Amino acid sequence: MSGTSAATEHALPVAGGRETAKEVWRLSRGHRLRLATVGALGIVSTGVNVIPPVIVGFLVDRVQAGTADLGTVLTVTAVMALSAVLGAAGTAVTIVLATRVYHTILAALREQLVGRAMTLPQHLVERAGTGDLISRTSDDVTAVADAAPAVIPALTVTAFTIVVSLGGLAALEWQYAAAFAVVLPVYVLVMRWYLRIGPRVYGAERAAMSARAQQMLESQRGYATVLGLGLTEQRHHSVMTASWGVAVWTLRARTVQGMLSIRLNLGECLSLATVLVVGFVLIDAGASTVGGATAATLLVLRLLGPINELVFVVDDLQSALASLSRMIGVATIPEEAGEPTATVDTDIAVRLHDVAFRYGEGPPVFDNLTLDIPVGQRIAVVGASGAGKTTLAAVIAGIHLPDAGTVARPGRTTLITQETHVFAGSLRDNLTLAAPGAADHDIRAALDATGAAGLLDLLPDDLDTMIGTGGHPFTDAQAQQLALARLLLADPELAILDEATAEAGSTHAGLLDRAAEATLRGRTGLVIAHRLSQAATCDRIVVMEHGRIIEIGTHDELVAAGGVYGGLWSAWEAGRSMNKVERTGS
Amino acid sequence: MRNASYSDPLGLGRGPLTRRLPVLWQAPTDPPEVQPFEAGSGTTAGRFLLRVILSVRRVSVPAALAAIVWQVGEAVVPVVTGLAIDRALATGNARQLILWLGALVAAYVGLTVAAKFATQLTAYAMQLLQHRLRSTLSTGVLHPVGGSVHAPGGGVVSVMTNDVARLANGVQLVIMPIARIMAIGFIAVSLLTTHWLLGLAVLVGAPVAVWLTGILSERLSRDTREYQGLVATTVGLATDVVAGYRVVKGIRAEAEATRRYRQASQETLVGAKRNAGLLGRFLMGSGVVTGTFVAAVMGLAGWFAVDRQLSIGELIAAVGLAQALLPQIQSIANDSIPNLAGARASSARILDMLKTDVAVTPESDDAARPVVPQLPVLEVSTPSATIRVEPGELVGVRTDDLTAARVAEALLDPRGPRSEVAVWLDGIAARGLTAQEYRSRVTFTPHRVMLFSGTIRDNLTATAASPELVTAAVRAAACDDFAADLDLPVGEDGNRLSGGQLQRLALARALAGDAPVLVLHDPTTAVDSVTEHTIAERLRDVRAGRSTLLITSSPALLGSCDRVVDLLEDALAPARTTP
Repeated sequence: MSGTSAATEHALPVAGGRETAKEVWRLSRGHRLRLATVGALGIVSTGVNVIPPVIVGFLVDRVQAGTADLGTVLTVTAVMALSAVLGAAGTAVTIVLATRVYHTILAALREQLVGRAMTLPQHLVERAGTGDLISRTSDDVTAVADAAPAVIPALTVTAFTIVVSLGGLAALEWQYAAAFAVVLPVYVLVMRWYLRIGPRVYGAERAAMSARAQQMLESQRGYATVLGLGLTEQRHHSVMTASWGVAVWTLRARTVQGMLSIRLNLGECLSLATVLVVGFVLIDAGASTVGGATAATLLVLRLLGPINELVFVVDDLQSALASLSRMIGVATIPEEAGEPTATVDTDIAVRLHDVAFRYGEGPPVFDNLTLDIPVGQRIAVVGASGAGKTTLAAVIAGIHLPDAGTVARPGRTTLITQETHVFAGSLRDNLTLAAPGAADHDIRAALDATGAAGLLDLLPDDLDTMIGTGGHPFTDAQAQQLALARLLLADPELAILDEATAEAGSTHAGLLDRAAEATLRGRTGLVIAHRLSQAATCDRIVVMEHGRIIEIGTHDELVAAGGVYGGLWSAWEAGRSMNKVERTGS
Repeated sequence: MRNASYSDPLGLGRGPLTRRLPVLWQAPTDPPEVQPFEAGSGTTAGRFLLRVILSVRRVSVPAALAAIVWQVGEAVVPVVTGLAIDRALATGNARQLILWLGALVAAYVGLTVAAKFATQLTAYAMQLLQHRLRSTLSTGVLHPVGGSVHAPGGGVVSVMTNDVARLANGVQLVIMPIARIMAIGFIAVSLLTTHWLLGLAVLVGAPVAVWLTGILSERLSRDTREYQGLVATTVGLATDVVAGYRVVKGIRAEAEATRRYRQASQETLVGAKRNAGLLGRFLMGSGVVTGTFVAAVMGLAGWFAVDRQLSIGELIAAVGLAQALLPQIQSIANDSIPNLAGARASSARILDMLKTDVAVTPESDDAARPVVPQLPVLEVSTPSATIRVEPGELVGVRTDDLTAARVAEALLDPRGPRSEVAVWLDGIAARGLTAQEYRSRVTFTPHRVMLFSGTIRDNLTATAASPELVTAAVRAAACDDFAADLDLPVGEDGNRLSGGQLQRLALARALAGDAPVLVLHDPTTAVDSVTEHTIAERLRDVRAGRSTLLITSSPALLGSCDRVVDLLEDALAPARTTP
């Protein structure tokens, strides 16, 4: 039900451990002095934190010996308070410094990642699916950022605390440190067990959660579908099944956490008992004092907290590391040499020569396809689904590289497909994306040319109206007008419209077709025609079937020839005048 | 359970020592049957919260009892350790050592087992509540049987995820704070019996220390929320840019998109640095407060020890207890109080949603009402015309977008609030029918189609009564080219299919249902003209003997209709109804 087992053979790369380390090291350039300071401060401040237990031991010994007075007590209290203040200050500065470096490096990495993602060859992304790229730039970035509060103290303070406390134990009496060192392997085993089990169970829990969210979203977005087709009962059942799926995995995850707690408590109990036994033996032999044993016990109690924390965050650490290597995997994909785009002839805009293309190992979409588009001409492509129209558009636009043959196209080529996207931001931001710095009057002219000038009157803040996610809602037709206005501002030599005006309701069709007409004026155009009325206005029409061009010519020529196009046209014409035709029911 | 004890079917990493133990309180694989919560108009947020968290007493009461043992056990450990040093280490008495080590192990066993019970039972209680709340919202808002006043907005998913979780978390309020208060009581009694003045000092000092750190943390948590907002914005921007990847590529705006992202990322970095500074201040402040508090307790206890009013063990125990007291109070202040506030706020949001989106209740009490035949005449009356579909007819309607949307809305839910368009089945107003009566006769396919994740087959069989219907529908909707393998997944939101394929599959799904009356609203706008022509040719056959109403402007589809009602012309000419 989870649906997460998407084909992964073409997934975007993930960096290995060594590459990840190398890239992080490279990004840390300029921050290394600060990192060294973090290390030094960490050691000093955790060293200060060892003082209180030791001083308590000192007091215990004085009290036992009967040599303590008010002065001793005051001194001990003052030292404890002072070391608490110094330790807290040192720890705070360490964490602040480390956090700043962490976020600076993360910012550099996420910018590199998004920059690289944008310039990746599109066929790589199409093969992997944009979902993969989205999860790297969102989920993974969030995971690494969110891990900071857990990871940074773990890597700085906690690790040092363990080392320094062990040193403190050894300074009291080496046997104490040895006793604790015997218990440490228990923790290593526990950690290894947890790393083996935890991530898998948590991963399944997260997958169950996203499956649940998906089920609810589908019901919400498909509300009309559910109601209209009478699927209410079924959808309720699907949502509730997904809801309970989370319960099942959450309880399993709690069980694993419970098992971890049991193991940690076992380690804790073992540590305390060992130190008490060692203290007993040492005091018995006259090698340690009661104060020494007290200090050792307090040190061990102090150590257990950070160790438990470390075991708990090791899971966060691991998933942050996994996210990091997924980010670095994309951020460091080497730039590839661009495909040469030479225009062969001054009056030929597009030249396809013997082009062959197939998706991966699939059947060829087309073999030796040849087509010339003269500068300024407008070509329509007509054909059934699977004829290869969209693939042809993508190959001409340079999104897919041909397996054989050559493609020549103008340097400035723009492709607009049925897929629209309104970016979150102002209307102006949305339009200047295609032409940074475009003046407002150019923007207005572009909107006007695509018939969207009236749109501005409907918006509360003119060009500054926030649109896209969370902003003023746009209809599909308006989004397409926006896309066409963007194209106008980008002002390319070749414009390819792949069914760019298809997703329109009944009355918007004409409006969008006129807008498309306006955007193509004065440039070479390739139109994957959706409505035949659109094809009819083009200079030449190419009819495709099974990857081959079967008819080519002007509208009148093709209609006169009475071939495939001619047949389609007459059926279309008949439907248009249907309201005058009355057919009796069967 | 014992039979399976050697295996680890759930992958929970049970080792040689633990695999013989039963796995307690796992959720059964099948969802339990749950009753929706009642939320009448008189219910307040507080009362609803109480009703919810008190509804699983059979789980929460044992959980609270276990939690008390757990928390008190945690407080016992420093006392036992102090006593062990005092009675065994200081005296060199081996019997005492064994006795107190035994006590230590017993305390750990007790608190460990109790902790396990408490946490697992609490998690179980929360999951049960979440499930029941989600079911309440699912039937009340997301899937109302009779349709609702208006379609649920995107907020419903957030309410069904976040608010449901927060409200269910409220059950912890009847578990953990109780246990913590008991532990605080234990610590207080222990300290007071050790030395009344010391006990009093700690009991007054600890809340003050907690209050001080609370003040320090307030600014930090406010800024942290702000910073998290910044992170979410940057992430949102990245998601948005990458979601529009093809558009960015199409217009060659890669550099500009990257520049905009960098700008937002740098703003977030400034926020992150400021937040780190505040975190530092908090760490520093709270470290100083707790450190000074413990030092002061130590000084006081040390003085009593010098004065021989306390033994060494009592000194150690006192320091340990004082240290154990802080997190208990902190947890009530930092976890339980926000938990209560959050649960209450979520309770109010859930109630709001349940109240505003109440389903229209069907009025099915009229027993004398005539029965609608299985294949009725469908009539849809707009202010300007009436569209009539005789049994077995294929009728097309050509109209403007606005009228089409109104007609579609009325056909989707004839009992909705819009009244300009009325729907009649065999002369009976559909408004008066029950949802069940209406939907068993009329199936409506909206223009904006939605496929559900799963395979092509899953989607088709959602409506189909038999495999033959599926085959016929696949052919009629011209899906043969990509739907040869019915077990292919369609992807989330059908993202593995092109727009045209998606629409054709949705059409196939509608046809597979073989509804007596089928209404299709612009079913082929994303389908190319050649394929649309094929569909138009096949539609008549697959719907033979059934009624079909097509709201479309596609000449190819209109061409296949028995009759076309042209409301576009009606706007100009006098209303033209069909013979």
